[in-house]
Amino acid sequence: MWNQLETGFGYWNVFVWLFFFLIVSGFVLWVRSLGRMDYKRNTDQDEIYLSGNEVPEDGAAISVPASSSYWGFRVAMEPLYRLLDRFHSGNASDYAGYFVVTTALIGLLILL
Amino acid sequence: MKFFDMLKVLPKSLWVTTCNSGSCNGCDIEIVATISPRYDIERFGMKLVGTPRHADVLIVTGPVTKFMHSKLLRIYNQMPDPKVVVVVGNCGCSGDVFYKSYSLDGPVDNIIPVDVYVHGCPPRPEAIIEGVAKAVLKLEALDKAGEPQGEDVGDSVLERVAL
Repeated sequence: MWNQLETGFGYWNVFVWLFFFLIVSGFVLWVRSLGRMDYKRNTDQDEIYLSGNEVPEDGAAISVPASSSYWGFRVAMEPLYRLLDRFHSGNASDYAGYFVVTTALIGLLILL
Repeated sequence: MKFFDMLKVLPKSLWVTTCNSGSCNGCDIEIVATISPRYDIERFGMKLVGTPRHADVLIVTGPVTKFMHSKLLRIYNQMPDPKVVVVVGNCGCSGDVFYKSYSLDGPVDNIIPVDVYVHGCPPRPEAIIEGVAKAVLKLEALDKAGEPQGEDVGDSVLERVAL
């Protein structure tokens, strides 16, 4: 099951890989242990820094979404997007249905 | 020298963050001058950092407007201990010509404990460097004492702690 894999340039062995993974993990944990552990829990010291501002519950209130870069386009096309949103139910059966209907329509067009 | 003794040199490098609590920016320009090539305080290990979570020293400029009161508190409370506060400029030290203004909650020592005052309007970069050097002594003393600096200041502590 755990055969050694010859690659042509060397070999790949799961036990050798695990051995190095453990070495690297140990090194990473050692470096991590050198970090500061004296932050006071449950105070502002372990809170997100937001230039001194209170961090809101809903990040959307203060964020600038990527869609803002094409705001005009988004607003102009809003009726279409609203229509597409209604199609987007998240139910895979609906999407399979759209696929079947679209394929049937295209097939019909080709046949006609 | 042992490896960990060599590492002990590092805490002597100060990481500094600044907060403009309503300053005219004059003091901030002088602070920027201290990291420019003429003074170049980074050669002493003093480094301006963008977040209080990494900083040992908080430099505050300005007389603390009402709007900045909570922000200054939160920034102070987000710094790890031990920490020192350096106030740069007359406004932060005393309120200066704005001391009777209706829009001030300052000067700074009305809001958070201050360790070093650097007077001037604005102070020269040499004075700011001297102020931060005094902060080094204070920080070393705090570090040697090894005592916690007590609870956070003001009303910025998270509500869940109160609960």
